Amino acid sequence: MPSTTNSELLLSVKNLKVHFELEHYQHHGLRDVFVSAITHPVEFFLKKPELLNVIDDVSFDVTRGMRLGLLGVNGSGKTTLCRCLAGMMVAQSGSITTDAEVRAIFDTGTGILPELTGRENAFLLARLFFPEIKDLRPLVNEALEFSELGHFLDVPFRQYSKGMQARLMLSLISAKSTDVLILDEVLDGADYFFQQKLSVRMRNFIKSAGATIFVSHSADQVREVCDQVLVMNKGKIGFMGGVEEGLDYYHKNLAPVS
Amino acid sequence: MELKFFWAQVRDLTVASLKSRYRKTFAGFIWVVLNPLLMFGVQSLVFKTFMRIQVPDYNLFLLGGLLPWIFFSSTIQMTTPLFVTQSHLLRSFKINPMVIFGSQVLDNFINFVASFLLIVLPFYLTTGRDFSTLLLLPLALIPLLIGTLSIGVALSTINVFFRDTNFVMGFIFNLLFYVTPVFYPKEYIPTNWQWIVDFNPAVYLLNPFRSLIYFGDGTFWMATLKGFVVSLVLFLTAVIIWKRKRNAFYHKL
Repeated sequence: MPSTTNSELLLSVKNLKVHFELEHYQHHGLRDVFVSAITHPVEFFLKKPELLNVIDDVSFDVTRGMRLGLLGVNGSGKTTLCRCLAGMMVAQSGSITTDAEVRAIFDTGTGILPELTGRENAFLLARLFFPEIKDLRPLVNEALEFSELGHFLDVPFRQYSKGMQARLMLSLISAKSTDVLILDEVLDGADYFFQQKLSVRMRNFIKSAGATIFVSHSADQVREVCDQVLVMNKGKIGFMGGVEEGLDYYHKNLAPVS
Repeated sequence: MELKFFWAQVRDLTVASLKSRYRKTFAGFIWVVLNPLLMFGVQSLVFKTFMRIQVPDYNLFLLGGLLPWIFFSSTIQMTTPLFVTQSHLLRSFKINPMVIFGSQVLDNFINFVASFLLIVLPFYLTTGRDFSTLLLLPLALIPLLIGTLSIGVALSTINVFFRDTNFVMGFIFNLLFYVTPVFYPKEYIPTNWQWIVDFNPAVYLLNPFRSLIYFGDGTFWMATLKGFVVSLVLFLTAVIIWKRKRNAFYHKL
């Protein structure tokens, strides 16, 4: 049931900072490390690694009902931010406060064991997506029926086309709504988004979520799904506000000239 | 509650990967038992018959070291590349990486149990040993499981950054086999070389098993206690490495 009060806080991000050490990029293997420790011992043991700030002091709130579009060029920290929100990565400083169930999808081409059939992979994926559900059969069967993959369900997953993989995966994740939904470019440049049936289901799924964070490079999709936009710029928030202003900011300041 | 979910995920993933592996061919399962059986047969022939190592009930002695060694070394060599080979899955949505890990270790542990029942048990019973001693077996295996899992997690994390880790480890394990008292008793090692055993973590993880099924005496408790201490140290080391690297881990995959 979509709430009418937009003030309920689902997720709060405060002064989030994430950095990576660049030292790993100088070596390709343990044997390289071994060699450089011997040839340049002083440098090797004393040199401090350079830091790459991926998320640099980011704060914002996600309230119930929010449909937040996340924009930014590649490398601006969108995915890292999403991974932090999903609890996959841990920030070096700052905080993410939430009691909500956060579900995040970064890719739809995932079969866990490609040798197994689509149906078997679906059950396995469901176990990983929804660990709290004891009997997965009703949920998975509904999703499989919806996917209309028919006899392909009993064909090994590795034989699926990209589109079929996505259909299976999206049917499955959208089988149960969640508090905070994060979709990281999973609908980008894919014709299945416009495939009527699945598209209606995904839209309803996004609507039924307490809040959605939607990462996309497509202005049309952002216009359709979102009511607010956050633009990431080199790890910082470049803009946060209305959709049209956000798209404007993005196109004027950041978008690669095509 | 979390642990219950974790277990359900590990269980389902393990069952599915067994299904995936053995669907096409049953040879896989035969190999699971044949591989340790052949290793055991050849080593028994070479060390007992050719080189005449003087150890009573040498076959059981050898199995007591060899079986946990096979579990230890093959699990680590299978788990070291795991984060890299499963990177697509790990990046696609939130999944506890330890589920993938737990599943691989469980998979290997099932192999271990199978070869224990089919190879060790017959030798154990024909040497007239007390069946009830085997009730302590779970206790002897906990350090082995925790220690192996910890080394595997640590190496797999390192392998994300240095992709030749598995290659290097393959080499190190070849060396390690000879300096670990698996096919010879550690009493064979001269006192001034004993440090090789003292500083070898594998020894502490393997010992409780042999102590129980071969010696079957009071040494078991001390060996198990040492095993627990060493596996705890390995576990904490793995946690530290994982916590330090888990961010860059996604970045680098």
